[in-house]
Amino acid sequence: MKVILPDQGIRAMEHSPATVATLLHELGINPLEVMVSRNGTLVPEQAAISGDDEIRIIRIAHGG
Amino acid sequence: MELPAAPGGVPVCSCCGGPAVIYQPINRCHLCGMHLVRDVEARVESTIKTAGQIRAGDRIAVGLSGGKDSTALLILLSRLLPAWPGADLVAITVDEGIAGYRTDTVRAAEALTERLGVDHHIVSFRDLVGYDLDTLLAGRETQACTICGILRKKALTDAARAAGATAIATGHNLDDEAQSVLMNAFRGDLPRLVRNTGTGRSALFLPRIKPLAAITEKEIAAYLFVQGLFSVLPECPYTRYALRAEVRSLLAGMECRHPGTMQHLTDSKKSIEQYCTGTPVMESLHRCRECGDPCSGDICQVCRLRHSLGK
Repeated sequence: MKVILPDQGIRAMEHSPATVATLLHELGINPLEVMVSRNGTLVPEQAAISGDDEIRIIRIAHGG
Repeated sequence: MELPAAPGGVPVCSCCGGPAVIYQPINRCHLCGMHLVRDVEARVESTIKTAGQIRAGDRIAVGLSGGKDSTALLILLSRLLPAWPGADLVAITVDEGIAGYRTDTVRAAEALTERLGVDHHIVSFRDLVGYDLDTLLAGRETQACTICGILRKKALTDAARAAGATAIATGHNLDDEAQSVLMNAFRGDLPRLVRNTGTGRSALFLPRIKPLAAITEKEIAAYLFVQGLFSVLPECPYTRYALRAEVRSLLAGMECRHPGTMQHLTDSKKSIEQYCTGTPVMESLHRCRECGDPCSGDICQVCRLRHSLGK
């Protein structure tokens, strides 16, 4: 599974967490501070994810 | 309890059964993109009407940084404003002069106002005090947000008055408001905690309204994303010095573990305001003895800042 992190870094994960929430927990990211798209579509934290998915984590808070 | 899921393992919208894009933990609802947009617009309209923030014939100056909150605010107000006959919008962008940061957001603000057909004014700290923020902050970066906040408020207010505005609207969301309550509590600043500049109209000040105050930051970002309007913009380089950054992180953790925390904080501010009405804590407004702007003491923050900066 390909995960695009908020800093635009890319991480290939060998195992696939069951849901977006599990993925964020494993990465230590608070779900309130990001949006997550799965294959380009916005999904809630409870959405399932699989090994073929491209997950993009977008930070929503920025000063100013 | 297992949530119903649409094909593809995505929970379904509580309104229509389509694939959800967001979960609202307070009311335990999933919403699809269309119902999220409807929900946000209905709640913003309700906030405006309940608090009487806009009146027929108003000219609302929207503080438009070009970031997501002010972008959403301008889009929302441009859709909702026809409900108030004769009311119109003007957008004000304050260019603080922050290298590598403000250029992109100013460009985004220009593109948005052009698309919406909204009158747009850009003012700068250089116009206001003769220097950009980067120059003003040399050697005092830790004061960035305080100095920027004072000057930005002054620049926005002056530009709004010059544009003939009757009120100023800012994109403060629920997260911002809850963070401010906590920051003022941490500082022990009760007068600031109970200060309310959103109601009452007088010759002394333009009311500052916050139509997004009931909407979370995540809802605003998702509202833009599902309409193809969300852009990833650079982060202000001075954010790392801000107390707000620490409070934001602390509060986000609390909200995640205890949904409703932010709403409880903003509700508590309203209760404290009511208890303090008519007491000495509610500072009365005077005119600054140097520039004539409204302030709570003899001299306003901008004039005090000018003295301290020697500018």
